[in-house]
Amino acid sequence: MRVGGHIFMALSALVLAMPIVVVCGAALNGGRSMFFPPQDPTLARFGEFFVSEPVWTNALANSIIVAVGAATLAVLIAWPVAYLLWSSGSKLSKALAGLGSLPFAVPPIVIGVGLGFFWAFTGGLGHVWSGVISHAILLMALPLVTISIGLQSIDRSHMDAAATMGATEQIAFRTVVLPQTVPYTISGFFFVLVLSFNEFIVIFFVSASSYATVTLQIFNSLRNGYTPTMAVAAITFLAVSILVFAAVARWGDLPRLMGADQSKN
Amino acid sequence: MTVADDIDVAADSPAEATPRLIRKGALYGVLSALMVVFCVVPFILVIVISFGRKVEGAAWVWDFTFENYQRFFVGVLWPDEVTFLYLQQLGYSFYFAIIASLLAVLTALPFTLLLTRLKRSAQAIWLVFILSSLSMSEVFIVMGWDILLSNNSGLPRLFQVTGLTQWLKDVGWFQTLRDIGLANPRNVKFKPSEFATILTMSYLVWPYAVILLYPALSRLDPSLSEAARTMGASRWTVTRTVTLPSIRLPLMGTTLLLFVFLLGSYVTISVFATPDKQTTAVAIYSNIRGSNLNAPFGSAQAVILLISASICLYFGHLLNRKAEAR
Repeated sequence: MRVGGHIFMALSALVLAMPIVVVCGAALNGGRSMFFPPQDPTLARFGEFFVSEPVWTNALANSIIVAVGAATLAVLIAWPVAYLLWSSGSKLSKALAGLGSLPFAVPPIVIGVGLGFFWAFTGGLGHVWSGVISHAILLMALPLVTISIGLQSIDRSHMDAAATMGATEQIAFRTVVLPQTVPYTISGFFFVLVLSFNEFIVIFFVSASSYATVTLQIFNSLRNGYTPTMAVAAITFLAVSILVFAAVARWGDLPRLMGADQSKN
Repeated sequence: MTVADDIDVAADSPAEATPRLIRKGALYGVLSALMVVFCVVPFILVIVISFGRKVEGAAWVWDFTFENYQRFFVGVLWPDEVTFLYLQQLGYSFYFAIIASLLAVLTALPFTLLLTRLKRSAQAIWLVFILSSLSMSEVFIVMGWDILLSNNSGLPRLFQVTGLTQWLKDVGWFQTLRDIGLANPRNVKFKPSEFATILTMSYLVWPYAVILLYPALSRLDPSLSEAARTMGASRWTVTRTVTLPSIRLPLMGTTLLLFVFLLGSYVTISVFATPDKQTTAVAIYSNIRGSNLNAPFGSAQAVILLISASICLYFGHLLNRKAEAR
């Protein structure tokens, strides 16, 4: 049974890795078509993606602007909501948290359509800044959850102790709350960053084809057939994801963030 | 800095409390405004526009007509002529999403169960791997499976080269594959097909299934099943009578969430599904951004998708409530 279990896990990992490996391998093709295994392997495609082809370098720049902007904005909005939810637990704060999670809970195409209309009326359609806000709205639910988990991990007795020693709410916030929630805030930031990088359908509707992120550029190129340069994009994004999640696992408590039981180790 | 350093300034007087109350009120006000403008208004716009009317040869105008909904359920020419084309598309949305989410949950369940029994550090490594694959964009995954399933390279080529195709022909299974549309006269052919669509969709949500099941499964008390084992129950009996009943609710909740997520999947369907099996999500796109340019009808379809999703999410919420109450 133990052996059977290991085999099942290995098999799952294999299937999970298969399409990713194929895409990554295809990046090494020397020619213009995608073959697997790659023919005439070369690293020239990396140069095209990062340096010489403006289509891809522009798309990458847009992706980075949208992802970093959205992650910053999402954390900035999620923080006060999570804090109010934790410190007061009032009906209004619960409603705010519920509304903030709404865009993430519905099928993405619906919020994509809705934000598309919204920006069409407010004049933001097709601007990069509206893409930033759209992703922040869509993914705000993630820092909301991670920061809430962080706040819940604070021992209430520490707060009481601080209050007994005469600390005001602000001071207790700065000395007790903030330091303990920093890892969770950073995790939330990175979750938004990675998902924004890879998000497709919402940015598809709000960009209105006037600019392209990497995922949009890849979708546009799907019709003209694949080129190995697209696979370089996949490798880059995968590398970013692995780095980010490994960092979260290294400096934060990933099993706890994912909801594992605390008592077991 | 320690808390003690700040004691001097910490004198809390009523005069200070009032501005703080005002600040808190202002914070609530700003946040409420933000949430309403960005999280509620877009949905309201979709709903309102779904009652609008398309003008032939132009865009659309505000209106209050149920034409778009009528068109969705029975067609434009009702009652003279009835067409269920759009209902059928919604049917395919459900069909693909149900099968793919069930498949994902059923295969993710044993995996997650095994995962929770590993050491904490090993779990973290697996979680990094799973989260990385979870965050991979749908376009990359579709690209990967597209290469894997394409006729010139990937699996069909592998079948040909290793002689598997010939073997299938020899034992007579090849004809079965041809009958269900997974082969052309010369070799196996995996796309476009329902098989490719469902495979990719369930691949897409499989990491989500693991992540969603993980909390519930990691809280399972191993001593329960150990006790049952000690009392002589077989491993299968333990799974059936102890483990499964205690995770029934999270299992159903996860399936519902994945189902809702898959209802709106666009890229997979547009690449892998045959033209007669396109879904509502694809229709929404072609009405709003694509060739049809009929935003009100696209919105009506989005509203119907939203309502379907909300009903499912509501049931999921009820299940979670029940699960937590126990």
